[in-house]
Amino acid sequence: MRQRRPCYKVTEPEPKGQLMTLRVLDPTNESRAVGGKLAPRPHSLQGKTVGFISNGKEGTKGYFTHLDRLLRQEFGVAEVVWRTKSNYSAPADAYLIDELKRWHAVVAGVGD
Amino acid sequence: MTTRFVSAAELMCRVLGVPDYRFVVIGHPISSAGDAELAEYARATVEQARGLLMAA
Amino acid sequence: MEATVQLTNKPPLTSKVYDVADFAAAQELYHSSGWTDGLPVVPPTEAAVEACLAWAGMTPDQLIGVEPVRAQTITAEKLAINAVMAGCLPMHFPVVATVWQAMLKEEFLLHGVTSSTGGCAVLVIINGPVRREIGADATFNALGNSDRATSVIGRAVRLALINLLDVRPGGIDRSTLGHPGKFSYCLAEDEEDTTWQPLSVLRGIPEGASAVTVMAAMAPRQVMNEWTNDPKEILETFAAEMRANQLHYSIYGGNYAIVIPKQLREPIQRAGWSKQDIGEFLFERARVRRGEWAGVGKGSIVRDRADKIHPALESAEHLLVVAAGGPAGGFGAIIPPWMGSKTKAVTAAIGACVDCEPPKD
Repeated sequence: MRQRRPCYKVTEPEPKGQLMTLRVLDPTNESRAVGGKLAPRPHSLQGKTVGFISNGKEGTKGYFTHLDRLLRQEFGVAEVVWRTKSNYSAPADAYLIDELKRWHAVVAGVGD
Repeated sequence: MTTRFVSAAELMCRVLGVPDYRFVVIGHPISSAGDAELAEYARATVEQARGLLMAA
Repeated sequence: MEATVQLTNKPPLTSKVYDVADFAAAQELYHSSGWTDGLPVVPPTEAAVEACLAWAGMTPDQLIGVEPVRAQTITAEKLAINAVMAGCLPMHFPVVATVWQAMLKEEFLLHGVTSSTGGCAVLVIINGPVRREIGADATFNALGNSDRATSVIGRAVRLALINLLDVRPGGIDRSTLGHPGKFSYCLAEDEEDTTWQPLSVLRGIPEGASAVTVMAAMAPRQVMNEWTNDPKEILETFAAEMRANQLHYSIYGGNYAIVIPKQLREPIQRAGWSKQDIGEFLFERARVRRGEWAGVGKGSIVRDRADKIHPALESAEHLLVVAAGGPAGGFGAIIPPWMGSKTKAVTAAIGACVDCEPPKD
């Protein structure tokens, strides 16, 4: 097998007394995603619809059961919609993103 | 967010361009918590959520 | 008046440039900025990066792909910088670029794979003529430090994850434990010393083409059976390891990789078994009853489904069989998936775009 040589040039050391520097490049993505805006908040949740987007993991059912009750009892929420992502390690499915536009507020999170 | 994921959430906020996004923090983990604990987490959620889900 | 002749019109690099005093200063800059995997890096100079791009025939702004969760673009220039840092020579770069194209396919689920507490790494399997061109060694230490090429290619994958997608421990990378494959997890297949078809060919790449397969993978689990020449007995040992993984780690079916070195390969091949035969055997044998969870401390999640059968493989084709490893030793390895079939292994041809589409807006 023919040995291939590296294609970049190896520079000789500078003579004594001369300043030697390396010019090296930034390895990170210097461009960043443009931020979104906060959706406007309602002044009250009385009579409104709140949706849960759950990751479906152990414990979420119990947690959301209590949260559902508290939102109805203490905030006067009229309807609580429960939805679970099809893949707990991926963002919410496109159809969920579509559906949540019909809700007044969304509860989603990250947890285990 | 559960407590152990707060730093991940903060980083995602910065990465997605909304560094000041505020969220509720509850205890960790959920997966092995009993019902009484889950009820407490839900209570903590609504207390913190008052300022987050509705306009001032 | 001096005449200058510009022989080529090189598109410029656009990355920020830092002037550092020397090699040691470069190390401290990169370490303190969170740009490394903890090991020393090769300072990425403009010349080294341009050499990688020239070898691959890519412009600096060429789009390798887009990570959809963060809408993050991955360019050839940025990938080449990380490849140089990892120790890649220009000839390694096309492999690195193809690995990233494969990882950015939607079905691989790159964000989930790299952020999960599960702690998997990206396993890379190289097929085709490129292996010989870059000196990849599929024999001794196939899953360890076998050769320069696989070491640096695997490392480039991780450095680019760190720097281009912020996959850092405690940041986006929530791995509880992780495993050593997160430094580098790359091997070549020993196509010359097996009667079996290359992995890439079985996964749809034309014969003779170079290709990479990527899989979100846990650490290898080594098995041993040097006391039989019966393929069923040999493979039963592998099946037992898959069942153990299902009970001890994750029960859900997905892509498993199985690495079979020469000593165990030979009796299986002599008996006329193909990779498909191996897949079908393990599809049948690698499955557990949910109730068995109770015997390993997981009784609380058996619920009323104790008799449910969970196969480790959704189909025989989900098994990735790799011929690799040294010539002696009755050892083999099972490499389990990160978590069921949320992520799918992806195979991509190097230097050819077989069925690719431009990224969707």
